[in-house]
Amino acid sequence: MSPRPPTLRENRRYILVRVEPAGTVIDQKELYYAISDAVTSLWGDAAAGIIMQAVVAAESGYVIIRCLRGTEKDLAIALSTVTGCRDLRLALRIVAASGTIESLRERIRAMPPHEGPVPETGDRVFDRKEVSILYCNGQKVDVIEKGFKNAHRLFLTKSDMENS
Amino acid sequence: MKITDAAVFPYPCGDTSVRRLALEAKTLGYDSLVAIDSAAGSSDGVEIISGIIVQDAPLRDVIARVKRAKDAGIVVSVSARDNGFNRAVIGLKGVHILRGINAADKTAFDHVTAKMAADNNVAVDIDLSVLISARGVARQRAIHRYRDILIFERRFEFPVTLSSYARSYLDLRAVREVTGLCSLVGMDISGVEKALDAVGRVTTPGAPSVRVIS
Repeated sequence: MSPRPPTLRENRRYILVRVEPAGTVIDQKELYYAISDAVTSLWGDAAAGIIMQAVVAAESGYVIIRCLRGTEKDLAIALSTVTGCRDLRLALRIVAASGTIESLRERIRAMPPHEGPVPETGDRVFDRKEVSILYCNGQKVDVIEKGFKNAHRLFLTKSDMENS
Repeated sequence: MKITDAAVFPYPCGDTSVRRLALEAKTLGYDSLVAIDSAAGSSDGVEIISGIIVQDAPLRDVIARVKRAKDAGIVVSVSARDNGFNRAVIGLKGVHILRGINAADKTAFDHVTAKMAADNNVAVDIDLSVLISARGVARQRAIHRYRDILIFERRFEFPVTLSSYARSYLDLRAVREVTGLCSLVGMDISGVEKALDAVGRVTTPGAPSVRVIS
């Protein structure tokens, strides 16, 4: 099948979202299913068929999602109902919308790196529990409880770590 | 206007410390948070208001807890139950928010309760976590109940608050996203702005209805 001429193509919009928590490894296909489920659950099959959501790219903590022009608002509402991807808890924070992927890639390049350095590593004690630092950026510190089971990820700040 | 999330559950109820919640809330566009069972304070320019939720308690215990919390600057919320209980709770001085109306029975909130809420300046809470994480019938039922409440709100003009019930910072939503979610229940932008500012209005005592001039 030959590609359609530009005048006969559907106009599309691209939404740039940041994936939180930082450092989450995204499987593009799994995320597509999570978004698809959220859109279908909220708006139904008919609207999902019009929105035509697709995960176009996932790079350095950011994801670019495609939709039909005019349906960005519906997709944005559905994206705010995404709470996980398989067994992974996550949140999608909308950063920008654009008509081209390239302009969103430029925005990613202009933004500070999402998966920042981890200047502090090692074991610490928080609330009388032994924890390991997973991620540290500015004031934000993500730690994980040490242990074989029930190891939860905790989201803290440097002040919390200093005061504990 | 102060943009407030009317209920978050910091560590140890959730997995995020109150300081981290404040830090993330600031980036999402909030000015203050009502932190349940947490101390009041301020962090990164975000005001943290202490709050309690009284639930599954007989009316006598509710009265005792409200009395204890009175004049302590705490936002007092009570979980809704049947209609009689809700009317009694709304009539109590010191109760600020009636919560969980979507989980209460169908007749729990009627036009009389709505009028009482408006007269006593008690807010009715909209739980956004149901709209975010529930699926299928549960979410449909919540949307229906909230639409019903907003019909009363337009008629009687009682305050409405918006809560994320965030136990993690991942459960927080940006103000723009909250506006989108509230459009599902028929709330426009001005309604959302009013609801986000409602905690301040229900906690500050209103002007007396009778004023002595001389």
